[in-house]
Amino acid sequence: MRRRAPALGAIGLAVAVLGLFPVVITDPTATSIAVFTVIFMVATTSWNIFSGYSGYLALGHAVFFGSGGYAVALAARDWHFKGGWDVFALLPFGGLIAALIAVPVGLVALRTRRHTFVVVTIAIFFIFQLAAFNLGFTGGTSGIFLPIASFSAATYNNPFYYVGAVILVLTVIMSWAVRRSRFGLQLLAIRDDEDRALGLGVRTRRVKLIAFVLSAFPVGMVGGLDFYFVGQVYPQFAYNPLFDVSLALMGFLGGIGTIAGPLLGALVLEALQQYFTQTFSGSGAYLIIYGALFLAVILLLPQGVIPGLAGLWRRWQTRDARAAPAPAPGALP
Amino acid sequence: MSALLEVDGVSKAFGGVKALSSCGLEVHEGKINGLIGPNGSGKTTLFNVITGYERVQEGRVVFAGREITNARPDRVFGLGIGRTFQLTRLFSRLTVLENMLVATQRAEGWLRSVVRRAGSASERRRAMELLEFVGIARLAAEPAGTLSYGQRKLLELASLLVADPSVLLLDEPAGGVNPTLIGVLADRIAELNRAGKTFLVVEHNMEFVMGLCHRVTVLDQGTALVSGAPEEVRRNPAVLDAYLGGEDSEPAAVLDERRPEPRPAAVGMGLRLRPRPAPARRDDLLELRGVYAGYGGGDILKDVSIKVPAGEITCVVGPNGAGKSTMLAAISGLLRPRQGQVSFQGELITGLPPGDVLALGIALVPQAHSLFGEMTVRENVEMGAFTVRDQALVRRRLAAVEELYPIVRERAGERAASLSGGQQRLVEFARCLMLEPKLIILDEPSMGLDPQTRAVVFEMIELMRDQGRTVLLVEQNARAGLKLSSQGIVLENGTVRLTGSGREVLEHPEIGALYLGGGVSVGLQATS
Repeated sequence: MRRRAPALGAIGLAVAVLGLFPVVITDPTATSIAVFTVIFMVATTSWNIFSGYSGYLALGHAVFFGSGGYAVALAARDWHFKGGWDVFALLPFGGLIAALIAVPVGLVALRTRRHTFVVVTIAIFFIFQLAAFNLGFTGGTSGIFLPIASFSAATYNNPFYYVGAVILVLTVIMSWAVRRSRFGLQLLAIRDDEDRALGLGVRTRRVKLIAFVLSAFPVGMVGGLDFYFVGQVYPQFAYNPLFDVSLALMGFLGGIGTIAGPLLGALVLEALQQYFTQTFSGSGAYLIIYGALFLAVILLLPQGVIPGLAGLWRRWQTRDARAAPAPAPGALP
Repeated sequence: MSALLEVDGVSKAFGGVKALSSCGLEVHEGKINGLIGPNGSGKTTLFNVITGYERVQEGRVVFAGREITNARPDRVFGLGIGRTFQLTRLFSRLTVLENMLVATQRAEGWLRSVVRRAGSASERRRAMELLEFVGIARLAAEPAGTLSYGQRKLLELASLLVADPSVLLLDEPAGGVNPTLIGVLADRIAELNRAGKTFLVVEHNMEFVMGLCHRVTVLDQGTALVSGAPEEVRRNPAVLDAYLGGEDSEPAAVLDERRPEPRPAAVGMGLRLRPRPAPARRDDLLELRGVYAGYGGGDILKDVSIKVPAGEITCVVGPNGAGKSTMLAAISGLLRPRQGQVSFQGELITGLPPGDVLALGIALVPQAHSLFGEMTVRENVEMGAFTVRDQALVRRRLAAVEELYPIVRERAGERAASLSGGQQRLVEFARCLMLEPKLIILDEPSMGLDPQTRAVVFEMIELMRDQGRTVLLVEQNARAGLKLSSQGIVLENGTVRLTGSGREVLEHPEIGALYLGGGVSVGLQATS
């Protein structure tokens, strides 16, 4: 219990910051950055549930992001949603469509391992992008407009922010639940040695597929949220290769396989990127800063910020407590 | 007595190599069954077939009356067959306790498995009991990657027990483990057996196998040679032959099917008639003094001192796991000795990187085939002289090598991977000669070859010697290897047990006991 107190404190603080942010900071530029940041925190956490825990690097999660966006846009248009809080009710539908799409995609891609898997997810991603450009119901290049939300101009961003924050909390809870579950243990076992896991009775194909589908759901939801916020969904942004890469970069920066790592990675990178884009718009200078930051992390903490710092902390502690008795058996992992 | 697990007529080939041919095996319920056999006899492949890691083309595997041929590994495990791996495999980033919980079996839907916490209180208690049982409970919270080699073996065994399998297949449980821990392992296995568990144990440590097993099966070249009580098997002359290698066959022209006329003699015998250099007192080209070395899990070599006289063949023999390959790694710079000295031509070379050792004139032909499969035979041989700048010299050497190894010219443009195992071996020899090494180290050159091809390979080794090179040979086929060597060295358990002339070692009465257990009590020569 003693060990849990600081962790609970940190969680409470984080939730408080998350909840109070738009109350304290009302500048619409800042809250708009916050909306995008929360969206990416959800997507990266969700991506991590599959890629971080299983070790399978998926570079095609934009498929779920875009499909969730299209699902929400099409449903809002065809079912005549007015444009207010009602559209948010469609987000689970977007998540569901993304999860359904993840089933066949997973069945195909998860037949392969390692590099082949990465390439297959990229290939499937391009199939979806191409389809979005060319199919009739997606509206082709011009895409689909979503209803304009009827929120007051001064606090226009806040409903989007809070809905995103709620999804974020739920996704983090899911990530945490998976991490401590038997299912999560099997995923981590697959990451460390898939063949041995198989030999210990882990039904690896099933476990991987379930993780893949679980990880698609929240991404589909925030896809719907993102395009509702932007007002329009069209192929370049719905199925954006940069989205695929961003999730992986954010995950690696913070530390994949952890709960806090993807949150931190997305928080830092997405917020910085949005800020730089708005400040030095168009100059592209932000990319240099972005790159330098990345290089520094990879050189100094190659496993990512969270595991890297945790390792340093452990080493510092063990050096401190060399003479102290060994930890009690059965201590929490 | 009934067979709980039965393998019947199983064949398995990898490319052109037959790993198992009509192999049969019975694992008797409630017994500790041993599975022994020389390197490459198919023991691990048989494990892989039983546990579903390899699919077979023919034959059946039956467990408790149910056919499980080609069932997936997770199903085989679910039915009650657990296995360990030769090189322990753990989930290195999970804690020891988490490793134990992976194998917990629970009938529950996927949703429950996602939501519920891993390891109920009773599962955790059971896992801790089992860790206690193997003696590593205090490490429960450590990441498995930080365990020592022996602890990893214990954890691997314990993690299987969580699911309470009825049969345990252990692949070299004592390999690379220190003697104290081997004792612990043997105790635990015997205790589990008394509690009703059936075992199938692959092991090279004969003391361990003979002392522990109720019944031993010997595999040779993919087939079960004999089965029976340990003593019976130990006395069976066919078993000793399998380990020491049968008598040599005549070399045949099997390696160059395109050769217009058979001329093995032109390669070997003819040149051997040249007067041998005087066998007077020669300098030692290579010397090891008190070398200790290992791979992090404790020393494999313990105080090894040997001398390799120049211009002669020295053959190192010994059972699997004796440390032969480790010794070669310590010489060639692949492994840095923890203590002791290696000197070459009187100069210390201890701990030099492999490239520098090679540059001094020590070339190693490793045990596993090492040609670049997608490159042509000619390119492979030319790679041997990669560090030589003088192209004219390279061409001269290539011509000389082609003279000795006609296959290099005849198959020059073909992919190396398309050659047979024996042909590849000869091309490896040719490649190694491109550097004109002073000392040639050959690690198990005859392994996996049929008797005729093997004879050709041994001829080529003699030819190297006749051309004035020094050869350090590690050989599984002890009879053939010692016969052509002027010096024989027997390694056992990381130490030098015997040194003498090839013939003396070969005829030593206890050489058989060395391979099949019983140990060697009398040395021919004090080996400090």
